[in-house]
Amino acid sequence: MTLPDYFAGIDIGSTMTKAVILDKGVIASIIGPTGPEQRRLANRVMEEALKQAALSIQEINFIVATGYGRINVPFADKQFTEITCHGRGIVQLFPEARTIIDIGGQDVKGIKIDASGKIVDFVMNDKCAAGSGRFIEVIADTLGVSLDTVGDLSLQSSHPATISNICTIYAQQEVAASLAEGVPLSDLLAGVHQSLADRICRMVNRLRVEDSVIVTGGGAKNRGLINALSEQLGHKVLVPEDPLLTGALGAALMGKEIIEKARKSNAPIETKERILEEVEIL
Amino acid sequence: MAEEQKEAKPKKRTTATKAAASIGPLVKEFITGTLQAKAEGKQKVAYTFIVCHHEEIFRALDVVPVWTENFAGICGAKRDAERFLQRAESLGLSRSLCTYALCGIGFDQWREELGQMPPDAPWGGQVRPDFMISSGQILCDPRSKWYQASQQFMPDVPIYNIDLPYPLYQVNRDHREVLGYYHQYIVKQLRGLVAFLEEQTKKKMDYDRLRELVGLSDRTWNLIEETYDLRKAVPCPMGTGDAMNTMVPINFMMATQKAYDFFVDLKKELEEKIARGEGEVENEKYRLMWGGGLPAWYALNDFNYFNSKGASFPAETTYRMVAPLHEMDLPETKDPIEHLAWRWLGYWTFWYDRARKRPGSEPDVERLINRIEEYKIDGVVMHEAFSCRTWHVGLIWQLHQLSKIYKPIPVYVIGKDGKKEKGYRELPSLVLESDIIDITSYSEVDTRNKIDAFVETLESIRTSRAA
Ligand code: SF4
Repeated sequence: MTLPDYFAGIDIGSTMTKAVILDKGVIASIIGPTGPEQRRLANRVMEEALKQAALSIQEINFIVATGYGRINVPFADKQFTEITCHGRGIVQLFPEARTIIDIGGQDVKGIKIDASGKIVDFVMNDKCAAGSGRFIEVIADTLGVSLDTVGDLSLQSSHPATISNICTIYAQQEVAASLAEGVPLSDLLAGVHQSLADRICRMVNRLRVEDSVIVTGGGAKNRGLINALSEQLGHKVLVPEDPLLTGALGAALMGKEIIEKARKSNAPIETKERILEEVEIL
Repeated sequence: MAEEQKEAKPKKRTTATKAAASIGPLVKEFITGTLQAKAEGKQKVAYTFIVCHHEEIFRALDVVPVWTENFAGICGAKRDAERFLQRAESLGLSRSLCTYALCGIGFDQWREELGQMPPDAPWGGQVRPDFMISSGQILCDPRSKWYQASQQFMPDVPIYNIDLPYPLYQVNRDHREVLGYYHQYIVKQLRGLVAFLEEQTKKKMDYDRLRELVGLSDRTWNLIEETYDLRKAVPCPMGTGDAMNTMVPINFMMATQKAYDFFVDLKKELEEKIARGEGEVENEKYRLMWGGGLPAWYALNDFNYFNSKGASFPAETTYRMVAPLHEMDLPETKDPIEHLAWRWLGYWTFWYDRARKRPGSEPDVERLINRIEEYKIDGVVMHEAFSCRTWHVGLIWQLHQLSKIYKPIPVYVIGKDGKKEKGYRELPSLVLESDIIDITSYSEVDTRNKIDAFVETLESIRTSRAA
């Protein structure tokens, strides 16, 4: 009897840590809390995922780490960038995907996929919070509304406000001033979402957006943003069921491919000693 | 004080060739040479810009060029530009104007204010010129305006501006229809320069000497072409990281025997490396092209990072400011000024005819395709330096156009009926973003994250290539 194979992917993002365990399908998935301390403690997210799958770490055939914190994960066998892993995860879920937009807490990425499911091109906004989820967080805070409700509230607007400042800090001031002038909350939020969608579009349009467009990351959970994006891109936008998990899923799938390839060619499989300890963040 | 602060020193960069490693002292030598010339007062020193095809005229009249873009680049490479940029900013100039210009203007203002070189000026500093020769290039307004701004601090230093246009590309129109008009105009511009320099130096142009110097440059052009062609070898003996050094004799030392000799040595070194099967990287896995954009001078180490992933750069478009003369069909002339003008036009229109033959192509795209094929390129890397629109406008468009008309990689795709079919895909590309010398626009972690993702893409294409 051959023992079943298990593969794990861990995605240590700038604000969230995600883990996925696969056999033939996903058997466990965990999204860890935000914050730099939690990122360091990514081992706990892995532990929880293992608990959910009722497995020990030694039973996992291959572990791949991705995301900004991928480099120093002591229990990972290999590292891949978020671009590769998001691409891989999304192609699994949506084989027809050609454009992926990942809206993370601190950055936004655009990925172009060709008909063979391979990455052709990518762009990243990594220098400024203005195009990322952080922008909405700051504005939600200024307006005193919870992050979970901003998207739906924005959909109630009939006259979206114009937010002219690109910089998060200046936009925050602009929103505060408009609020004081009596601009309705929903109009302000709709304006904020349009402004964010506009910046994301400007970046991903470099890739010559093609259908199907898939949006992942925390931003994908915001219906207001998805609507604004779809409108400005002029393309229908699809969202996976668990938009935060696609990077970790892709990482696990990359591990699976490595093992399968090695077995096919009778190549040795190099794995690390499985130590579930803290991650050293740069 | 911010002005006194210098940025963290970069890690030492390694070069693949001895010739590239010898460039630092060479640059230092010609910068020291400008300071010495000024101190001795026997030769006039002049600020000027690269790629104007006027070096021969300078040297024939013994004018010592001070390459202001080069000095700004040195400040950037030494991570010592910020204090000069801040100076210029405090004068109300924006960084997005061109950070080379800003660095130069900031330096000039400081030097003129002190009446001596600013403290710890890189490599002794940029000498006060006797005059300034500016020249715009189609899009580059800083190259016309920079010296006007600097002149505010040295009103006694005259400026002479030369205008060197070339016909823009049109798909359905042969540029030769108007080439003659352009030629006449450029000849006039260059003769104007000669007259200005004669007046400043109180010398008469020796046209035999000028002819000799033009001949020397032409021979150097051909030699550079032959030398760089050697990089087609697999593995590639020298990459773009090195070429960012070997651009020095091309762009700052043309019309000198030293530049010619440099390439004699480099050619020999490359031939020897090829004979030994020695590449820029030990196990060459990917061959990349630097497809456009000036480099981030403070981050040339990134080329070593690429190398550490098995990526070599056999070709680049940046700073290879020569083209094979024998393919240009230049009209015969005994007048060296006329020849310089023809060579200028020949260089800038070099890819026009080839581009017209490929539907959807453009000269810059055609040049990319040519290098991709000749140098067996697997991927294209570009750098968008935010403050230089001249070289960077249109880079993304070039990549889009390239991917539209040129799909050289065989792959298997799943067809509409669900069956595997053979198809072709474009070359992968990477666009890095920062600036030529403004280090505040650069993040090493993010740049290397992008490089990692790009290398993974290259690897996945390599392993999934259809046989
Ligand atoms: S704008 Fe570009 S081409 Fe013009 S001087 Fe500046 S760096 Fe050089």
